[in-house]
Amino acid sequence: MTPKLEVRNVVKSFDDKVVLQQVDLAVGLHEVVCLIGSSGSGKSTLLKCINLLVPIDAGDILLDGRAIADRSVNPNEVRQKMGIVFQAFNLFPHMTVLANITLSPIKVHGQSKAEAGERAMELLERFGLLDKISEYPDRLSGGQQQRVAIVRALATNPELMLFDEVTSALDPELVAEVLEVIRGLKDDGMTMVVATHEMGFARDVADQVCFLDDGVVLESGTPKQIFSNPQKPRTRQFLQRIVDAGRL
Amino acid sequence: MTTVSVTKPSALTWVRRNLFRTPLDAILTIVFGSLAVYVGIRGLLFVFVNGRWEIISVNLKLLMVGRWPADELIAIAVALVILGLWAGLIAGIIAGRQVRKGTSAIEGMTRLERASDLGRRFGLVIATLLLLLSLTDTSGPWLMVLFTFVGGVVGRLIGGQIGVRSLPSWVSRLGIVVMVVIPVWAYLYMASAVPLADWEGFLFNLSSAAAGVVLSFPLGLLLALGRRSKLKLLKGMSIAYIEAVRGAPLYVLLLLANVSLEFFVPAALAPSKVVRAIVTFTLFTAAYIAEIVRGGLQSVPLGQEEAAKALGLSPTKQMRLIVLPQALRNVIPAQIGQFISLFKDTTLAGLALGILDLLNAAGAITQQSDFRGQGLIIETLVFVGFLFWVGSFTMSRESQRLERKLGVGTR
Repeated sequence: MTPKLEVRNVVKSFDDKVVLQQVDLAVGLHEVVCLIGSSGSGKSTLLKCINLLVPIDAGDILLDGRAIADRSVNPNEVRQKMGIVFQAFNLFPHMTVLANITLSPIKVHGQSKAEAGERAMELLERFGLLDKISEYPDRLSGGQQQRVAIVRALATNPELMLFDEVTSALDPELVAEVLEVIRGLKDDGMTMVVATHEMGFARDVADQVCFLDDGVVLESGTPKQIFSNPQKPRTRQFLQRIVDAGRL
Repeated sequence: MTTVSVTKPSALTWVRRNLFRTPLDAILTIVFGSLAVYVGIRGLLFVFVNGRWEIISVNLKLLMVGRWPADELIAIAVALVILGLWAGLIAGIIAGRQVRKGTSAIEGMTRLERASDLGRRFGLVIATLLLLLSLTDTSGPWLMVLFTFVGGVVGRLIGGQIGVRSLPSWVSRLGIVVMVVIPVWAYLYMASAVPLADWEGFLFNLSSAAAGVVLSFPLGLLLALGRRSKLKLLKGMSIAYIEAVRGAPLYVLLLLANVSLEFFVPAALAPSKVVRAIVTFTLFTAAYIAEIVRGGLQSVPLGQEEAAKALGLSPTKQMRLIVLPQALRNVIPAQIGQFISLFKDTTLAGLALGILDLLNAAGAITQQSDFRGQGLIIETLVFVGFLFWVGSFTMSRESQRLERKLGVGTR
């Protein structure tokens, strides 16, 4: 069976700095893949490459077996099948929560206001945000903003969700509410690629954990393999530092 | 335990603490205090006792509208009343929308508070209007201002009703078109009564500043977008234009507009001086607006564009729906500042192009046989400066108000 998403030999450099060298990754349908690794290891860049926000220098990205990084493919068409959530939320500050969520369904997918509004209300209700529907983003807490950002990405019914360190900008006490949302999505069977520093979360939720180091997938496997029995010295070193910091 | 005194210091203590704390303070206070009192008294004496203001009241029509034919004045009155209605409608619709969205600042104020709010905002303009009216000896201007005021109030009431309703999008679109057409119509209507070439006095300054503002904004926006374009040629041309225009004094450009057109266009086809002034204002201000807008575009975080892209929005929609609204909102004060300087710079056109604008008219009337050689240029210049100050100050206050308002709730 072809994986939902396949990354083959992807290379990306900014100016002289090589950020991704020969990255391979395969994500099956309904699978949750967690990308771990220190800052600057290339996790964010990889996600942005998958969403075609950053053009790759070499290699292939396949969605349902179709090469999407190809010049002949319209990136907007591909992006409509994926949702991405950013570390800095990136909600639109001049729009209400409702307008943020219904923007893409209305302006890109051609839904009516009523139709898009109904779907938005459904999602907001599910994530306990219905009372915030007409607020502006700056009136919400970080956790609420990030949950709205997730709802915004979900509003177009994506087949694949990408999470780019979505809890890194949050106060510690707000992290749980966001992770809870992602857990809920796993229960729905959503295919997800999650770049995260939350090792406990990765251990509990991931089907596959990939350790990125210096633009290479150094080691990947089940959470058990990676966290309990890492093979590479760099992986062990990284995990040891996390344990020392009391975060695992 | 120490007790802290919280009683308010008496006036005498305040004076001692703030004005006479050290010998140097005392000297500064005495020197500048007496200077201020002296200037203040001389100023008041000039305005209320020594100033010979009859030169203004006798020539008020000339100062305001130049040699506009008396039997065509009705066109100005009609246009003003329509514009009053228009402005009232817009104010009403905006206020109504704010009530509907729950962001209204005045909802919940008492009637008295609302009146004093309006008084603070427009009291100066109203007082100036009343002052001007008091100088006239005919009823026409009174009626004109009265009906304009009534138009404004009626517009405000109707607009408030329209604003609180949620209208189907085609109706609001039609409404926007109508609101754009009304001032253009008023302008053309006045131009059909008296050709643009003969617009003089303060009317010239106000109308050409308004035309310059309206025309320069879209041009400046296009230039700013052009400067960010990936098309090298477009980008290069935008930069060349912006830098060339910003590098030249407006006065020089106006002088050039006065003489250089004849080289290219037969005299019969060359536009009138007023049109040349407006075109020059537009081209000049657009370059500045372009730079202001560019600053605004840079102030929008990159993540906004990224998020818009990720949601599948086309580049045009990313710009129109996400980046531009935030960019323009961030630079409203700077834009209004630019428009204020355009308003004042319209006086340069009077000199450069020989148009009888407010400033030129103020100079010309001192040469009338009744007033010649009496040094009345001071009175007329003070009057001109005062009118421009009222306009600029009011705009700047409204800009600050807008800034405060936009700072709340919507970043």
